[in-house]
Amino acid sequence: MADHDHEELAPTPGARVGKFINRGDVRQTLLLGLLYTIVFVVLGRWVYPHWMPTVLTKQMQANEDIMIWFTVISAPIAGVVLAIATQSFLHMHRGDTPPEEGIAIRTNTPVVIIWSATSILFCIVAIVWGLVALNTDSIAAATDAPKSLIVDVTGSQWAWSFYYPAQNIHTHELNIPVNQPVTFNVISDDVNHSFWPVQLGVKVDANRLVTTVVHADPTATGPIDVKCAELCGLYHAYMETSGAVQTPADFSSWVSSIQATGGVQQ
Amino acid sequence: MTTLSHAPAGARPVPNPQKSLITKLNMGTGMVLGIIFCWGTYYAMKAGRDMTDSHNVNKVLLMSMFAWSLGFLIGIGALIGPFRWLIGKDLTDEEQLYLAGDGQGIKRYFKYCTDHKVVGIQYLVGVMALLGVGGTMAMMIRTNLATPGSHFVTPNVYNSLVGLHGITMIVAMIIVATGPFGNYIMPIMIGAADMAFPRLNALSWWVLFTAIPVLCSAWFLGGIPTGWTAYAPLSDQAGPGMNAFVATIIIFAVSTAVAGMNITTTVIAMRAKGMKWNRVPIFVIGATISVALAIPAFPTFMVAMIQTAMDRTIATGFYDANVGGSGWLYANLFWIMGHPEVYVILIPGVAALMEIAPVFVRKPLFSYNAAIAGFAGIAGLSILVWAHHMYMSGWMPSLNGPFMITTEFISIPTGLLFLVLIGTLWRGKPWMKLPMLSVYAFIWDFLIGGITGIYLSDVPADNYLHGSMFVTAHFHYTLMGAALTGAIGGLAYWFPKMTGRMLNERGGYISFWFVQIGFNVLFLGMFIAGAEGQPRRVADYAHLFSHANLISTIGAYSVGIGMLTLLWAIVHSWRSGKIAPMNPWGAKTLEWTVPYPVPLVNFETPPVVTSDPYGYGRSAK
Repeated sequence: MADHDHEELAPTPGARVGKFINRGDVRQTLLLGLLYTIVFVVLGRWVYPHWMPTVLTKQMQANEDIMIWFTVISAPIAGVVLAIATQSFLHMHRGDTPPEEGIAIRTNTPVVIIWSATSILFCIVAIVWGLVALNTDSIAAATDAPKSLIVDVTGSQWAWSFYYPAQNIHTHELNIPVNQPVTFNVISDDVNHSFWPVQLGVKVDANRLVTTVVHADPTATGPIDVKCAELCGLYHAYMETSGAVQTPADFSSWVSSIQATGGVQQ
Repeated sequence: MTTLSHAPAGARPVPNPQKSLITKLNMGTGMVLGIIFCWGTYYAMKAGRDMTDSHNVNKVLLMSMFAWSLGFLIGIGALIGPFRWLIGKDLTDEEQLYLAGDGQGIKRYFKYCTDHKVVGIQYLVGVMALLGVGGTMAMMIRTNLATPGSHFVTPNVYNSLVGLHGITMIVAMIIVATGPFGNYIMPIMIGAADMAFPRLNALSWWVLFTAIPVLCSAWFLGGIPTGWTAYAPLSDQAGPGMNAFVATIIIFAVSTAVAGMNITTTVIAMRAKGMKWNRVPIFVIGATISVALAIPAFPTFMVAMIQTAMDRTIATGFYDANVGGSGWLYANLFWIMGHPEVYVILIPGVAALMEIAPVFVRKPLFSYNAAIAGFAGIAGLSILVWAHHMYMSGWMPSLNGPFMITTEFISIPTGLLFLVLIGTLWRGKPWMKLPMLSVYAFIWDFLIGGITGIYLSDVPADNYLHGSMFVTAHFHYTLMGAALTGAIGGLAYWFPKMTGRMLNERGGYISFWFVQIGFNVLFLGMFIAGAEGQPRRVADYAHLFSHANLISTIGAYSVGIGMLTLLWAIVHSWRSGKIAPMNPWGAKTLEWTVPYPVPLVNFETPPVVTSDPYGYGRSAK
């Protein structure tokens, strides 16, 4: 093939990518994108563990992991979006007359395909992650059932009460032992409430005449704040109590102290 | 021209419209008859009933509220047309011209006027009033939450503020773009002389108008304790104020159904010659998909409310577990409406910004087809995701997985919306005017809303976040960040066409930065409070959350200052702003080809469309 034919050939894909990356606006965008990505990754890794309460259960750890890693995974996508927006913002045209005409890019099929494929991939990762976490929790709830501590939880306007059937005690505090699975059977005396022992990272609605069930696996000791997460009327804000994930010895001692007063916590 | 019939002159006697009843009716006569109907019904129904029985109180109040609405509509003349049609004497051409407000100046805004431009302005003023009321309630909520243990308002008032702020803002957001711009601008954009059904167009506004006093009456009837979700059985237990909420939703559902059918029919049937589907402006596509989605959604809410009304009046027990009902029935009905409604709100705002971006970047809209696929994909999936609001309800835990999958999928068409906007910005040098700033604000706000939505759609993370302040922050980032930001951008863009004047730029810029900075500070505080474990809709909270709440309140005041500045800019500009040229932005859609004031029939000669409206730009070198 003659030399002049070489000159008329279209540039190779590699050459086109090289030319594209060497453009000033592209470099600026890539740099901004990298910066945004790093910021999002750092925020994701640092912010949620800092904001969220101490992890006391496997479920809470799963929640925190999702918030951290979904932020990290979405960081490059957010980085691209914000970089392009920032790059164009930095090159704004001021004045009372319109800017000169831009480049007429109606669409770019490879870009649309790559963008859609990235979205689908991200979506699949999120779904698979969620399904695996859901499945792990369901299996744990089923296999741990025989050794679970049972706590019957009743919500009523505007207080929580607890009954431990195996121990035959009625309480207004929620104490549970560490390293023993716990199953909460939740019901309401009146309107809908939502049982939320915050540090346990689980939640389920309390409904009238229907029992709902939620399972937790405590892995560390520490205080628990129990709140209502469903608007339930006048004093909804004050429908809260406290408790703790305790050592087995402390839990046994607490149970004994209540049994000694007739099984009802004073 | 659709406002007029085409009966040949002389086919029947034409009465002088000055003698017609329609010339005597206006908002004043509507209010008088509405009040008469309301009080008449109240006293007639009250007589002989035991008013210590809450069921009787609910019956009397509900029927009085509906009577107000009916009386007002009769009094303003909304039913004259159908009545005359029923007796075989439809309105004459002169009467229809009169109804269109021809030559009536400012008075036509207070009448049953069929001109779509008048209806658009009525919606604009209505939206501003609703935002003012809803925003004031938001300020009161944030003031109460500025410090723990605050007694700025009582818990009862606080709960009512939360619920009434919610429903007021939801109604405002549903109509914020499709109301003013869908009515005023959209028919001109597609080259139509009016809406397909001008009388129904006026009806949609005035029906909505009658719901506003009904909703306000909740305050005088003890408030609502349920939040805007109005979950049962709390709604069954609630006091008389709950009737106002129930009646409002039923009336509003009628208004949205009428408006939805009208806009959809107009776009399908009345586009200008040559305006094929691939030449329709993207705002029109977005608004049409939005209202089409609303058509099946809101009747479901209406049914849910009718059942609430029946539980409260004749003790049917639909939602009462004591007699075999279930609160989950209500929750399902509510969210079957509730999640599509999120997109009914969101899509028109985004579509308005997509209309704006090409004009100010001077580039074609990037991938018009991707934009349509994004809107259609969101609309389609949105009817399959409702139970992600019920992951923690205990209803069918086995469906949590499938609903998580459908919900996560919605991120794919949503991603296309970002692609379209950043593709339009790519290699552009945007003209930095007020409308364009909203495009950037949307990208930031909606990105935050989108990412946090991905956590919430995942069941394990929702275990922790559901019902917390984190959720409140998330949905404000999506609804306010997309719909309100889009609507403010749309207002800045179409203000010259709707008022003949330019929106004051300095006021607009000051407002923009106060609102956007305040918005991000406000909801950053809520994200922190939610992640720390603060439930939403609480009148008081533990000291642990005090810093986050104080940050939120400071942000809220900044938003308040910004919105007041915007109000000043709008009023000042409307009264004495700089006169706008016919096409101040150099845009290519049809509304910019007509002068201000826009003629009654919009176009001297029907336009013929030969290309799409995004023909900007030069070839790449």
